[in-house]
Amino acid sequence: MSFKYRAYAGKIIRVNLSHGTITKQPLDAKMAENFLGGSGFITKILWDEVGPQTDPLGPENRLIFAIGPLCGTGWPVSCRFEVGAKSPLTGIYGDSSCCGHWGPELKFAGYDAVVFEGKASKPVYLWVNDDTIKIMDAGALWGKTTGETEEIIRKDLGDHRIQVASCGPAGENLVRYASVISLRRAAARCGLGAVMGSKNLKAVAVRGTKDVKTEYPKEFYDFMNEIIEVYKKDFYILDRIKFGTPILVELMNEIARWPVKNFQTGVFPYAKEIGGERIRREYRIKDRGGFGCWATCEKPVRVKEPPFSGIYAKQPEYETLSALGARLWIRNLDALIYANELCDELGLDTISTGGTISWAMECYENGILTKKDTDGIELSWGNHEALLELIPKIAKREGFGAILAEGSFRAAQMMGRGSEKYLMTVKGMEIAAQDGRAQKSMGLAHAVASRGADHLKAFPLLDELGREEPIKARFGEKYLPEMAQPLNPKYKAFEVKDGEELCALCDSLSLCKSSGICLPLYTGQIYFEDLAKIMKLATGMKVTGEDMRRTGERIVNLQRAFNIREGLTRKDDRLPERFTKTPAPEGVAKGHVVELDKMLNEYYRLRGWDTETGLIPRKKLEELGIGYVADELEKMGKIPKVN
Amino acid sequence: MSRKILYIDPLDCTGCRNCEIACSYIKEGLMNPQKSRIRVVRIGATYDSPIVCRQCEIAPCAKSCPVEAIERKGRVWVVNSQKCIGCGICVQECPFGAIWLHPDNGTAIKCDQCGNCVKHCPPGKLRFVDPNDLAHETEVKYARKLMEIMEEKNVI
Repeated sequence: MSFKYRAYAGKIIRVNLSHGTITKQPLDAKMAENFLGGSGFITKILWDEVGPQTDPLGPENRLIFAIGPLCGTGWPVSCRFEVGAKSPLTGIYGDSSCCGHWGPELKFAGYDAVVFEGKASKPVYLWVNDDTIKIMDAGALWGKTTGETEEIIRKDLGDHRIQVASCGPAGENLVRYASVISLRRAAARCGLGAVMGSKNLKAVAVRGTKDVKTEYPKEFYDFMNEIIEVYKKDFYILDRIKFGTPILVELMNEIARWPVKNFQTGVFPYAKEIGGERIRREYRIKDRGGFGCWATCEKPVRVKEPPFSGIYAKQPEYETLSALGARLWIRNLDALIYANELCDELGLDTISTGGTISWAMECYENGILTKKDTDGIELSWGNHEALLELIPKIAKREGFGAILAEGSFRAAQMMGRGSEKYLMTVKGMEIAAQDGRAQKSMGLAHAVASRGADHLKAFPLLDELGREEPIKARFGEKYLPEMAQPLNPKYKAFEVKDGEELCALCDSLSLCKSSGICLPLYTGQIYFEDLAKIMKLATGMKVTGEDMRRTGERIVNLQRAFNIREGLTRKDDRLPERFTKTPAPEGVAKGHVVELDKMLNEYYRLRGWDTETGLIPRKKLEELGIGYVADELEKMGKIPKVN
Repeated sequence: MSRKILYIDPLDCTGCRNCEIACSYIKEGLMNPQKSRIRVVRIGATYDSPIVCRQCEIAPCAKSCPVEAIERKGRVWVVNSQKCIGCGICVQECPFGAIWLHPDNGTAIKCDQCGNCVKHCPPGKLRFVDPNDLAHETEVKYARKLMEIMEEKNVI
């Protein structure tokens, strides 16, 4: 029996690693209608199966790999797969997404998701070969880097087209911000690599040969080409494709939005030395992309000068150049390229790695940490050798690395001595490379994101570079000029709410935000109506733009409900005082703080949530068709008194 | 009419497989890389390149076909699916691995240079080129390099 909707595979793999059992489960059509796929599926499965008692690193936690309906259809940049679990870094909802060729391969094999539970008694990996699924011995792979793991599996199984997603030594050693890597790209945030490690699961290898059919293939293909024409014409898009995300380095430095010295300031005088233009001029070999990619963020590079000469690596992304570069005051680009490579091979999230080390560096600067604590490492700003020494120590949990492996939030709790003062985290997660003081919408986005300090859950770009056209196209003149002004808190709650719904759909459909959404964002293309059209052409699901928005809202609310069940309230939607009380010291944002409370009130009001507690009223949940969530929360006393 | 090959420099190819996507939709109306007539090979940190029929002058596939199902149509070789018996000798004989058996009906499939992949190549570098022109491009590139060396050494 084929699935009700096209473009879906219609099957989910369930693996119980404790018992060594594999079950193929038919996908419920209602699940597809209400949660679409990818991150939506992860949200629903985690809500249903992972409660507050679940230890993120215990066998009862679920580890979910999920793809959306567009994955494998060839839609421009729809190659992403999502990995999800209760996060060992934050203890709340966790998901992360990765591009490449793994996601489409899973669809070609005939599955929409793989759900792991339990813990294998010895290291294993899963081998999905169309209809044949096996749990394989991974004894020889344990301890190997992610690149080695992929190579060995392809060689052992004798097919170079096999796609592999694996965790590195950091995941095996339960580093709380370990990543999942596939084809040198990363699902890095939330420590999902550690969840793999905790289950003794080294990798998931996939090979598929089946058809992916769409409901209206001709119209789908034509619409695809129509969108591609948009890509080809927009100056911003072309620039972004040419340089990749590092083109943002100079731009973000200009708007003083950079996390320099653990967010002490937003301006890094050496931005040009580690920026996109220099990388392209002096390092780039070529461009590379995932299945159906038009953005080609992966740019293989080569380092020419000693001591790192001869290394074939890839261009670090904007976030990495920020987290390991400006955040640590490091301007040695060769070292940054090498550090990025180390993180990916060992399986570490570069953002949290940089965030944790920058916290430690600030503690060192203020005498809270000394060489006695750091195994003799000179943790001063700009010391790239310290960075290169620390990365393997973290991955292996050696000496001081064992403390840093817990993430800055836990490390500060373990250490005390006032080190909490320098924490730049939200809900236990290190803040990504956006200083909310220079872009108020980002401040709010970090405070409310379901997976902790994160820019990608709302991805408020409309005001980032102040482009007014898309705002006008979407919302009309009345939001101008305030919404386009990054330093003005007005209308930012509206922008963040809208963005969260759009991004939830992106993550659920398998679209890349960098090009599926954020690039056409500049021109106002790809909005809810467009997504509804794509869905209709691909799957045959009859949905309107309003339906799509509601689905996005449902996913956002269910992630929130998951976190509420874990005990979170409004008091957790906070930013470090450095953002809310200390004015930005220089640059265009000089004198600014994040007016968080004001924006939060407006955000809750727009969301229909209780402004005092941040809890979700029953009415809202019922309106979104997830009344069962209200029943469960009510039993726990987590529904606001006044509806 | 000169013979053209589909060509892209591996340093320009991004390995994104948009050519496979275009081919699969145009030829089959669905997405399946196993049914595409052009297939990208990605190896190591930097190498990407599509495998596709080069429309050889003396074509081993056509020569070896026991039922003469691979026919010359202008500048390309085309599989006559009425004649093809799906024996797979052409697949075995092709030195490039650029002809395959269709997974559903078992007959041979190969590129007929319809050009849809060219339009769908993100860097826009996949193109039809006469092999001799390619040689000429290489000649010039090589000459330029030599000239630079000579200039550096102050020979000229």
